[in-house]
Parts: sequence; C-alpha cells; structure tokens
Amino acid sequence: MTSLSTPLPFDPSRKPSLRKRFFSRPMDTVISLIGLSIAAWVLWHLLTWAVLNAVWTSPDGTSDVCRDIKGACWAVINTRWRLILFGLFPYEEQWRSTLACLAIVIVAILSCVPKFWTAPRLGLLWIAGFATFYTLMAGGVFGLKATAPSDWGGLTLTVFIYAAGMLIGMPTAIALALMRRSDLPLIAKTTGLFIDTIRSLPLITILFTAALVFPLALPQMLIGDKIWRVIIGFALFFAAYEAENIRSGIQALPAGQEEAARALGLTYWQRTTRVILPQAFRNALPPTINQFVISFKETSLIVIIGFFEVMASGKAAYGSGDWAFAWVEVYVFVAMIYFVFVFSLSRYGAYLERRLRVGKH
Amino acid sequence: MRDIAIKITDMNKFYGKFHVLKGINLTVSKGERIVICGPSGSGKSTLIRCINRLEEHQQGSINVLGTELDDNVGHIDAIRREVGMVFQHFNLFPHLTVLENLTLAPMLARKISQAEAEKTAMKYLDRVRIPEQAAKFPGELSGGQQQRVAIARALCMAPEILLFDEPTSALDPEMISEVLDVMVSLAKDGMTMVCVTHEMGFARQVADRVIFMDQGEIVEQGPPADFFGAPQNPRTQKFLNQILSH
Repeated sequence: MTSLSTPLPFDPSRKPSLRKRFFSRPMDTVISLIGLSIAAWVLWHLLTWAVLNAVWTSPDGTSDVCRDIKGACWAVINTRWRLILFGLFPYEEQWRSTLACLAIVIVAILSCVPKFWTAPRLGLLWIAGFATFYTLMAGGVFGLKATAPSDWGGLTLTVFIYAAGMLIGMPTAIALALMRRSDLPLIAKTTGLFIDTIRSLPLITILFTAALVFPLALPQMLIGDKIWRVIIGFALFFAAYEAENIRSGIQALPAGQEEAARALGLTYWQRTTRVILPQAFRNALPPTINQFVISFKETSLIVIIGFFEVMASGKAAYGSGDWAFAWVEVYVFVAMIYFVFVFSLSRYGAYLERRLRVGKH
Repeated sequence: MRDIAIKITDMNKFYGKFHVLKGINLTVSKGERIVICGPSGSGKSTLIRCINRLEEHQQGSINVLGTELDDNVGHIDAIRREVGMVFQHFNLFPHLTVLENLTLAPMLARKISQAEAEKTAMKYLDRVRIPEQAAKFPGELSGGQQQRVAIARALCMAPEILLFDEPTSALDPEMISEVLDVMVSLAKDGMTMVCVTHEMGFARQVADRVIFMDQGEIVEQGPPADFFGAPQNPRTQKFLNQILSH
C-alpha cells in the first residue's frame, strides 16, 4: 500500500519547471523580476549599441560616417581588418599571409585528431605545416617576393609564434620533467635550478634578453633571426611551467607502475614512453590545457620587442588619427579573435578529458 | 642435485644505517617451490625484490640462472626477462586493456610479433580462466580477476622463475582461492616459485621448503611437514602460534 504523503523518488532528469524555480513565492517573484529587468536593460543597450545604431561600412573609407552616431562604428573593422589580421605584411601579398595562417591552423586542428597521434605522422604534419608557412611568408622562392620577418604581423604572426613556441616547448617540457627526476643528482639539481630560474623571471625579461641581449653575447653564427630567438625564449618559458605540470602527473602515479614495468624487463625508454608518460599526461591534462590557454594570451607580450602581433596590430588599426575614437570596437573584435582560439582550446581539452577518462580509473 | 635457479651468498642490505637483510644465504633449485613467511617488517618482501633488482643489495652476491646480479644494466635486464613478478597490488597498467597489458613486454623486451604475443596472451588468459575479459580495462575487473591477469602478464614473458610478493593480501576473502588455485596449478607444472605469503594452507600443499624470516635474517627453513610439525626455533614457534591459533 502506498501512502499519499510518500515523496516521489528523486529523479535528476525531472527538472523543476521555470515557474517553480523562479516564481514559487512572492519574494522569489520580486527578485526574479528585478534580475530579469536588469538583464533586459543591459542586453537592450548592448543590442542598440552593437547592432541597431551601428554603422557597418564606410563607402569612402574615411571615418566621417561615424561622426554623429550613437552606436558602434564597425566601419573601422571593415576598413582596417587587413591591418589587424596581417600587420605590416605588403598589401598585395596578403593572400600569402592568409594561406600561411590557415596552414598552421589546419595542421593544429589535424594534430588534435587521434588518427594522427603517432610520432611519424605528427612530425610529418608539422614539418609540412611549417614548411608551407615559411615558404609563403618569407618568400624568395617560386617567384614569391621575399618578405622579412620584421614585416610579418597581425593574427598570422600570433598564430605562428604560438604554434612554434608550443611545438618546441612541449618536447622541452617533457625532457625537463624527466631530467628533474633523474637518478643522477647533478642532472636533477641542474634541471631544477634551470626551471626555477626561468620561472622566477618575468616573460618580458626573457623576451627582451632573447631579442636584444643575446645578439651582443653570442657569436654571429648563433644569433639567427630575432623571431627565432623570441620563439625559443617563449618556448623555454612555457616549458619551465609545463615541465612541472608533467612532473606532477608523473609523481601522482603509484610506485608500483614503474616497478611492474621494471620487473617485466622494460628498459628506461620503454617504461617512460609506454607506461609512465601516457598516464602522466592524463593526470596532467587539466593544468596542461590551462598552460596552453595562458600561453596563447601571453603572445601579446612580444610587442615590446617590436613584433606586431594581433593585439598590437589592433592598436595600430585605430591609431591616433581618424579612427582613434573607435578603439572599443577594435578591442571587441580582437577579443573575439582571442575568444575563438581560447574557447576552442578549452573545448578540445574537455573532449580529451572525456576521451582519456580523466578522473576515472 | 638439480640445476640451480637462484643462489644468494652472504647478502646484506641496508637502508642508510638500517640493516634490513643480514647475511642471507639461500639456494633455490630449478622447479623448487619456496614459501617465505615471517612477521611484517622481517625483510621477506625486500629479499625477493632484491632478486630482480627492484631493491639493490650492498654486500654479498646474487646469482640468477648463472647471471651475476651487479650494476651491469645488461645483466639486470637479462635477469628481469627471466624472472616474473606478481605484486600485492597487482600493478596492472590502467591505461591499457587486459590484452595490451599482456602483450606489451613480450613485444618490447622479447621482440615478439604482435600476432604471436596476442596468441600467447590468449593462451594464458585461458589458463587463468578469464579469456572473455581481454578487451576490458583493469579498472573494470574485480581484485581477484586483476591478480589473475597480473599472473598471466608475468607468464607471457615465459619466465624461468616467478616471484610472488603477498599476492593475496590485498584481496577480499572470497577472491583469495581463485588466485591460489592458479598458483597451485603453476606449481604442479614445475614452475620455479618463490612466494612471500601468509597462506599457510598453500604452503603445506605445494611448498618444497618453507622459510621463516625475522628481523632481516633467515631463522629457520625446512620441508612443510617438519616446519609446521616440529618448528625448532622459539621465534618460529611463536610466529606459527600466532597465525595458526585462530
């Protein structure tokens, strides 16, 4: 016999109705209405500014159309987007910059697909990607006009520095993490000191040193182009932090994993690559995605040594002349670019966590 | 006299100043089944972990199947390929399926082809009576099943010697017998076994020799009938009283 007062068993799929959640008591109703009105007011203002009162194009390419408007002046993006995306890259060659940027983005997307997760495939993919990028950007072959790295800029430069930095940084981080756990005290201690030193320096100092101090101290043949020194500085900075993420992933493993692999007669490299690192990556995945996201935003710091990445190009796009009033619109546009990249990274991280069953055993 | 599998001579081990193993002398013949027992902290696990160099000894010598266990990495790897080990906590690789757990070492350390390794793996999964679990991950199995997979993993390397380090101590009581059954059947097939265990029933049934350790020393050893029937040393008598009285 069932009593009428017996509550129904809790069923998480049965969500309470909108009315029950927000309007069940008079006080709830009042608070909900206040909240809704504030939200509506903010949204309405955003909408009028961003869409209803906005000016989208400038027929003559000047800022005159935006002189007496109350909304957003998207005409600045329409007129200056090439500067934001490509920086100072020669105007008639900008198709090269577009393709180069796409090459890196496509290679990055492909290397996120599990099918490409073998060392030869990933290696080939990235070598092809960077070769394409470099040929298109530097030119000087196949009848392409030579363009110096100092003329590279905008989103293309940001994507390139980031991709190259991560690609050099990740193997370096793995090497540092393994060396810090070495049985030889000299190697372990030296690596620890190296990591701690890099982590105790601001990224700006490292970029500055790489760009301006190293050329004074290194022999001519080792200097190379400024862009590579900056990428290596950026990669080392990333590697120092990421090495500690990976090390934490390794140390979270029970000692029995290493022992079982030893007892089976596996060599150091076999144990490391087949037993320890795959599990360590899984443990270190959340902080690793964090580090990748932080590093993407840190690329904006390379402006201080004279590279016009997307943030600095944005600043140049509104400049101090005709469009100087339209800085909000430009920064909203740049913010959306960052958001697309960072949000994709986060979602990919979430996918990896599901795939590798992080948090489960 | 049968061929010698393991010969340990005047072996001492220290953790810093702490003298863990004191003057150990032990010879194990091929095909012999040894059970080592003793109170916790007596050094029994440390002793068998020295045999495949999971622990390093400081004095004396350990010779396994004619190879001297020294700092030569080649010697260590050679010995580890011939000496399988089963751990208290199974130590299966959780990121690999049961089948991959079994084929990893044969393919890497013995350079056996994948097809061949998988055939061997299925043979031993059959032997430990869980072939239907091959595609699962270790986390999906019960403790007893995991330990049987761990035994199969050791067998896939076709070892001459198997070391068992308290293989049933982490198991729920109802799963102990399924693991012991597998161990008994291995013993019947003539596998050289050195088992650290408190399963005295197992010791009586299959051991050729039972060794009692206390405070880092081998105190007493002998065939199970003598060892359990008429223990000589008072420390052995006390230990046996404690574990057999309930």
